[in-house]
Formats: sequence, C-alpha cells, structure tokens
Amino acid sequence: MSPHAMPHAEDFRAGQALGVDHRKLGMWLFIASEVMFFGGLIAAYLHYKYSLGFPEIELLNVVQVGVNTLILLSSSLTVVSALAALQAGRPGRMALFLVLTIVLGVAFLSGQAYEFASLYREGVTLTSGVFGSSFFTLTGFHGLHVAIGVVWAIVVLLGGLRGAYTAERSMGVEIFGLYWHFVDIVWIMLFTLIYLIP
Amino acid sequence: MRERTLFFSAIIGIVLIALGILVATQVNLMPVEASTRAAAVDQLFRVLLGVSTVIFLLVEGALLYAVLRFRARPGGTGEGPSIHGDTSLEILWTLLPAAIVVVIGVYSFQVLTAVEAPGNRPLVVEVVGRQFSWGFRYPEQDLETTELHLPVGRPVVFQITSDDVIHSFWVPGFRAKRDATPGQISELAMTPTKIGRFPIRCAELCGAGHAIMTSEVVVETPEDFDAWIEAQLAMAGDPVQIFNTMGCGACHTLTAAGSAGTIGPNLDELPSVAGARRPGVAAEAYVTESIVNPDAFITPGFQPGLMPKNFGDRLTPDQIQALVAFLLAQP
Amino acid sequence: MMTATSAAGWRRYFGWNTDHKVIGVQYIVTSFVFFLLGGALAMVVRTELAAPGADVLDGATYNQTMTNHGTLMIFLWILPVVAGFGNYLIPLMIGARDMAFPRLNALSYWLIPPAGLLMLSSFFAGGAEAGWTAYVPLSIGGPPGQTLWALSVLLLGFSSILGAINFLTTVITMRAPGMSFWRLPLFVWGMLATAILSLTATPVLTAGLILVALDRMVGTHFFTVSSGGDPILWQNLFWFYSHPAVYIMILPAMGIVSEIFPVFARKPIFGYRMIAMSSMAIAVLGMTVWAHHMFTSGMDPRLRIPFMVSSMVIAVPTGIKIFSWLATTWYGKIRLTTPMLFALGFISMFLIGGLTGIFLATIPVDLHVHDTYFVVGHLHFVLFGGSVSAVYAGLYYWFPKITGRQYDERIGRAHFAINFIGTNLAYLPMFLAGLLGMPRRVADYDPSFTSLNLWATIGGFLLGISVLPFLYNALLSWARGPKAEANPWSSLTLEWQTSSPPPPQNFAVIPTVTHHPYAYGDTPGAEAVAAPATAGAGGSR
Repeated sequence: MSPHAMPHAEDFRAGQALGVDHRKLGMWLFIASEVMFFGGLIAAYLHYKYSLGFPEIELLNVVQVGVNTLILLSSSLTVVSALAALQAGRPGRMALFLVLTIVLGVAFLSGQAYEFASLYREGVTLTSGVFGSSFFTLTGFHGLHVAIGVVWAIVVLLGGLRGAYTAERSMGVEIFGLYWHFVDIVWIMLFTLIYLIP
Repeated sequence: MRERTLFFSAIIGIVLIALGILVATQVNLMPVEASTRAAAVDQLFRVLLGVSTVIFLLVEGALLYAVLRFRARPGGTGEGPSIHGDTSLEILWTLLPAAIVVVIGVYSFQVLTAVEAPGNRPLVVEVVGRQFSWGFRYPEQDLETTELHLPVGRPVVFQITSDDVIHSFWVPGFRAKRDATPGQISELAMTPTKIGRFPIRCAELCGAGHAIMTSEVVVETPEDFDAWIEAQLAMAGDPVQIFNTMGCGACHTLTAAGSAGTIGPNLDELPSVAGARRPGVAAEAYVTESIVNPDAFITPGFQPGLMPKNFGDRLTPDQIQALVAFLLAQP
Repeated sequence: MMTATSAAGWRRYFGWNTDHKVIGVQYIVTSFVFFLLGGALAMVVRTELAAPGADVLDGATYNQTMTNHGTLMIFLWILPVVAGFGNYLIPLMIGARDMAFPRLNALSYWLIPPAGLLMLSSFFAGGAEAGWTAYVPLSIGGPPGQTLWALSVLLLGFSSILGAINFLTTVITMRAPGMSFWRLPLFVWGMLATAILSLTATPVLTAGLILVALDRMVGTHFFTVSSGGDPILWQNLFWFYSHPAVYIMILPAMGIVSEIFPVFARKPIFGYRMIAMSSMAIAVLGMTVWAHHMFTSGMDPRLRIPFMVSSMVIAVPTGIKIFSWLATTWYGKIRLTTPMLFALGFISMFLIGGLTGIFLATIPVDLHVHDTYFVVGHLHFVLFGGSVSAVYAGLYYWFPKITGRQYDERIGRAHFAINFIGTNLAYLPMFLAGLLGMPRRVADYDPSFTSLNLWATIGGFLLGISVLPFLYNALLSWARGPKAEANPWSSLTLEWQTSSPPPPQNFAVIPTVTHHPYAYGDTPGAEAVAAPATAGAGGSR
C-alpha cells in the first residue's frame, strides 16, 4: 500500500465554496490563540499597573521606543509591498522588500535590546520587582515573536530566490504576512498600553 | 388521548412535587445551625434540594420507564417512528427550566445580600492563617490568642489574612468560609446564635499539615466572653501564656509549659547550654536572637527555615524579655 | 508502508504516522494508560482515606498523590482521549480523507508522551504537591517537581491548541459534498464547540503557567506577596482556562451520547438543531463563568453576582440536551447494548453532577460547600459518571469500526454494572461528608466522617476492579475477537458506510450527502438497515 497521502486541493472543496483557504484559516486560528496568550500577559501587566502603580515607568524612553515602533510599522509596509510585487509577477522586487523587512525587523530588535539594556543599567531587571517582571516578560515574548518572524522571513526569502512562489502560488508569503502583521499589531497595543497611556 | 396524557402528567407532577416538598422539609443534611447565616442558607439549600429531587425523579423515572416500556422485542429489527422534534415541547423544556433558574437566582441574590451584610456595631476579630494553625487577634482589646471565643448574639466581622500561603477559614456550623490570602484582608460577617463549641477547619490546600489545621470556636454568653477576655489579658504578660499563644510548643519541648514538640531544640536544656552555645555570645543575647532571628544560628542537628521569623514584630520587647528570663530561669 | 489489518500493522502505532486513524488510536491508547496510572493513584488515596488518621501516607506524600491523581486524569486522560475520538472520527464523519494538517496532527500527538514522562518524572524530583490547581504562593515555594509539572502542562496545552486548529479547519473546509453544517453529526458539533474553547482558553493558562515557571526558575516577582504580587491573579488566569476545560471534557462526551441514542433507539435524535445550538451556547457561556471557583477568595462581592447568573443560566442548554436524549428514547425500539447502557448511565449520573452544580452556583450555599467533599462528589459525578461513561460508551460503540473486530457483549454488560454501582457508591457519600464539614484535599479527617469515607473507599475499589473486565474484553477482542462487519449497528453516519476498519484513504469514493444522518424510521416499517444519507458511497442504495 502507498504511504498515507497528504490532502489534495479537491479535499478542500467545502472551504473553497465558502471562499476560505484552509492554510489561511489555520493561520487565522493560530493568531486567535496568540491573541489570547498575549491577552493573559497583558492582563497581568495591567492588573499590577493599576493596583500597585509602576513608578519605573518614568524611566521608559517613549521617544526612542516610539521611533522603534515606526520602524516596525514600516516593516509591515514592506511585507505588503513584497506580496504586491509577487502578485504583480515581480519576484525580484519581492525579494528586495523581504530583505528590507528583515533589516527593519532586526533594527527593531536592536532597539528593544538597547531599551532593555538602559533599563538594566538603571537597576530595573526581570527580577527586580513586579514592574520588571511584568514589563520584560510581556515585551520579551513579543520580541521573541519578532525574532521568529525574522527567521521565517529569511526562509520565505530563500524560497522566493529559489522560485518557490509565483503570483498563483503565493500562499506561503501571504501566511507569513498575516503572522508579521499580527506581531506588528500586538506591538501597537503594547506600545500604547505600556508607553503611552499613563 | 390528549386528555389521558394530561391527566397522567398532572398526577405524576403532583406526586413528584409532593415528594420534593417531603424531602425538602424532612431531610436534614447539614450540621448544627449556629449562626443567623446558617438558618438562611439551610432554607435555601432545602428549596434547592426539593427542586432537585423533583427534577431527579422526573428524569430518572422517565428514563427507567422508557427503557422498560420501549425495549425492542428480542430478535426484532424494525425501526422506531420518525419523530424529529416537537416545537411546543422543546419550548416548554427551555422556558420552564429558565424560569426556575430565574426564581432560584433572585432568591439566592436575596439570601446572599442578607447573609453578607455586616451587623450593627460588630465585634471585629482578626484571623491569621499560618502553616498550620490559626491565630486570632481582638484589636479592641489588643489581645492575641490561639483560641477563638465569641459572645452569642453579637455580630462579628472576621478580618482574615495569612502569613504565608492561602488558607481558608471555615466554620461549618456558621455556613461560610473565606480564604485567608497573604497580602490582603478579606472580611466575613456573621452572628453566632448558639452557645457551644464548633469546629474550625482549613478549607484550602496549604501544605503537608492542611488536614490537621483545625481549631474550635467557643460561643458563650457575653458575661463568660468578657471574663475570658479579662483572663487572657491578665495572662498576657505571663511567659507561659506567651509561649503557648505564639505556638512555640508545636515544635519545642518545654515541660514548664506542658509541651513536647520535637521539630526544634529541647528548651528544657536551655539554662545549661545557652551560655556556651555560641562562644562570645551571652546566654540572654543568644536566646533573644534565637527568637527574633532564628536562622542566624542553627543548633546542630536541626533544620533552618522552619521557625517563623516575625516574632520580633509580634511580641513587644517586654514580652520577649519576660520570655527569655523565664526560659533561662527554669530549674 | 502500512496495511489496514495485518498483525504487523500494529507497529505503525509506535511511530510517526500522519493517518488520522492511527493518530486517533495513539491518543486513545496513550491516554488510557494514564487513566490506569491516575486510577492507581486514586486507589492509594482511597486506601489512606478508608480510616481517619494519616496512617498510610504522611501529609506531604498524600498531597503529591492527590495532586498527580487529578492532574493525570484531567490533562493526560480525559482531555487527550476526547481529542483522540475527534481525530479518529471527524474526517470519517464529514466524508473527508484526513485532517486538514496531517503532519501538525502527528505533532499534536507526539507532544503527549514526553509531557507525560515529564509529569511522571516530577514525582521523583520532589513531586508536585499543590493540587491540580497549583494555587500560589504554595506552588511557588513547593518542591522542584512542581516546575516539571508546570512545564508538562505547558506542553500539553500546545498539543491542545494545535489540535483545535486542526479540528476547526478540517470541519470548515473539508466536508463532503452535501454535508452542510445542519447535516453534521452531533459529535462533530460537540467537537466544534470544544475546539473553539481549546483554542481560546488554553493560551491564557499558558500565560499563567509561564508566570509561575518564571517565578520558580528565575526569581521573577509575579506572585511574591512581599513585592506586591497578587495570588488572586493566578486564580483568575488559571480558572479562565480551567473552567472552559471542563466543558472541553464534557461536550465531546455529550456528542458521543448523541450519536449512540438514535442508533440504539432506532429513532432520529430528538431536537437536532437545539442540541447543536446548545453545544455552542454552552461553549460561549462557559467562557463567562470562571470566577464561580473564586466565590470565597475575597473578590469584590458585587462581581460575584454576574458569575452566579451565568453559572445558573448554563443549566438551561444542558437541560435541553438531557430532555432531548430522553425524548429520543420515547416510543423507540431500545436495544440495551453495552454502548447504550453506558450512554443511559451517562444521563443518570451526569444529571446528579449537573444538579449539584446548581447548588455550587448559588453563592450562599457555595460559601459553605466550596473546597469540601461536596465539590469532590460533584466533579466525579460529572467527570467520571459523565465523561468517562461516555468515553466507555464510545469505545464500545466504535470498537468494531476501529479494530475490525467485535467485543464480547456479556463482559461489556458486566463491566457496566460494576462501573455503575461503583460510581454511585464511591461518590454519593461525598456530598454528605462535604455538607457535614469535611474539607477536600485532606489526608486525615474527623472520626465522625469515617463511615461515609469507608463506603466511598469500597466504591472506589469496585471502580478499580471494574477496569479489569474492560481490559480483558478490549485486548482479547482486539487480538482474536470475531471479525466485524462494516456496519454492525446499522448506523447511518458516514463512518459506518465504509469498511471496518476503514481503508487508509477512508472512502473508495467520497460520498455525496443527501440528507441528515439520523433518518431512522423515515421509511416506516422498514428493515433495520435504512438507506444511508448518501449517493455514490461504497454502498448500493
């Protein structure tokens, strides 16, 4: 007997009838679970922020991190552009925008590292108190997600250079895009809740 | 046919409701009623029990009847009738339970508001859970004890907290509990109505001694209560009283206080060894340090980290001095 | 690389395999092993509690035993076994060849054995002693095994979330032609509701466990009271998941019961749409009740009220299901096969569990019975009398389909009888003990509770014994039982319209569904094998 076969396109007729691609749906569902995960960490942070008060917030550098936020936002733009380029039949341009995405992602992570280091120099660490624990865990997990996104972007870039994606076969890039935008949106939430709202 | 069904349903309904009322009024599953709260809660409980009995008998009865009456004949292979639903029946068994839920909900809300309301000019008692015993403090009289006494008929407000992990202060006879959570004070209001002794149990897993973390509340006449307070205050300076109130006997042997604990060093020996235990440290200083800073020096053969570190806060300097003098002056 | 029925085929169950039928069996067998382990721990617990006094175990060891009993039963038995049923049945029931993401599916399963080993190894690292609820600060200060416990549960959570993504995507995108949502079998509806809960609630527990693990491993201050840490935060994060978790444990079970009743009453399921919608209602409502586990925590008294309300309201869709199952049997032609016996037992015992749940939802009563043996009785009636009964019903019902062989009916009925008596004997006395003043999670108790505990222990031992006829029946029948037909129960759902066991690609031709799957009796007076609701399946009608 042949090895167990992976599903083919016609197995997903019901989804096609609904206009739902199963791989996209899978990613959306995964994103839903991630929303709940970050929700848990955010709940912990906000609970302590409003019940204890976080004097350490004065040490946060809103301007620097604000710039870093713009960098991450730009990277979403480059991802959109990459996908658009692919769908316009220009894989070379897609690769370029993916490179830009990676650069911006790494820049964001460096910015985060710099912010973390400055806080550490001020004595605010993961174990220095409730603020340190909550802040670094929440932003740290976000950073981890960005890092995973950067690795994924490299994989997609390499795939793109090999010609794995075309205007008709763009699902891999689209799904990566969904993840990247999600990570971006999480950051907008975190930046607002941690840095902007008193 | 419909009249017959209606007739039988009515008969069954009446019988079930009668049984429900019977169970609700005759069956007592609760311990002694020792507070105003208990009376209200038990009433609510009986109503729930009656309603549950009716529902239970109805469903189980119907199930049993169906299994017996509609059993397939042995060897029979025919199909049953093609009944997919019955809208009026489905509406009935959606709305009727919903109505019951609403009634129970409103009734419960009323009982809750009534029982949780603090009484007039309540007696405040602070309750502290510690692994694995209960401590009580009467702030009005500035008295700390290991026994809980209450005057009958006077509203009480317990202010409950913990020194270590989460415990839960529960007096089954009073019908309520409140968690003893470190870092916060939770209030519990009630009025004891019956003179007697009622068990206190810890109702939140708190470690190896969770099951033995029991105590007793003594409810007595106001006169007896006042007399007890007086007696406790009189003994407040007494070293043996301090020793017992602080729970030292749980871990230490001290014949003079009647305790035989073995988790910590034997205090009967203290007069003969205190002076030499730490070279350069006098007996009094050594014993005092052992009380207020127990991990500074561990007697060989015993474990660190077990003795509470906050006796320095809980005892006044006079009390500590009296205790140390007493321990060293034993024959 | 594999054959459908040869004896050598057993090897594929021990390796990486993307066939959902293999994965389903892997889930079911692995979790059953943990059921036996958890059950052994229960026997130890009941031995200790047969008489007052901490005579068999000391307090700390008892706490470890009790903690791991609960943890194994919830995280390594019920939660994975229902995922196993979902895995095996969903593609077959919707007329698909496999799940949407077969490799992800295999990964979901393979997270379980290492997580299980981590959990078991925690016993040798000082044990986890804080109950399956792991309240802080107790769990923060506990022995090293507690960290392994937390990591194990984390892994199991990932497995759950990945499984949920697969179930949802599969049902939405892979249904056979004609299989509209209103033609889905009710087991699939139950799994849909379950998957929504797994997907959304589990990640919150993940967050909470990470906080606990960080506190224990690197010294963060999430739950350090002296730094301002709040123990109630853990309770909220924990119960936000763990209450929906109990619906994850019961909705598939109810789905199984919904499949079995029509087949063995030879009547359509009564109120199909109401049952389907009740499953979804229970899932949604189930996300709003969690703080009913915290009524005594000192939480804001005003906030308790909405939780009491939602906890009571959830009784309504639950009641709808019970009445609908009852009505399914009415005027039917009931055959008391082992699956039907367990399904009937499910209703009678789940009813007790559900009714006692209303007592717990009522705050004034809950303030008395919270954290007592009343709760232990309630949870065992819903989880053991309920979920486990339904799991047994499903194991017997789908035994011929999965193994291709028939089990022994008489031994099955004996198993049911011992199980039913044991369950009631073990758990009914617990309600009384709780009401009268016995707290839960205690190695020792006041001598006034002795006779109640002794009865519970006898019942518990009976339950331990009851597993033996099941194991004997299952193992022997799997190896040497009489060969089963494709459709021994004359059932109309799609998994029965293919061979027993199914071929690797499930169906020779994907069926086209023409009406819903409970059309028993739609052709009055017909012979038992009614026309399956398909055209062009392996069958001929």
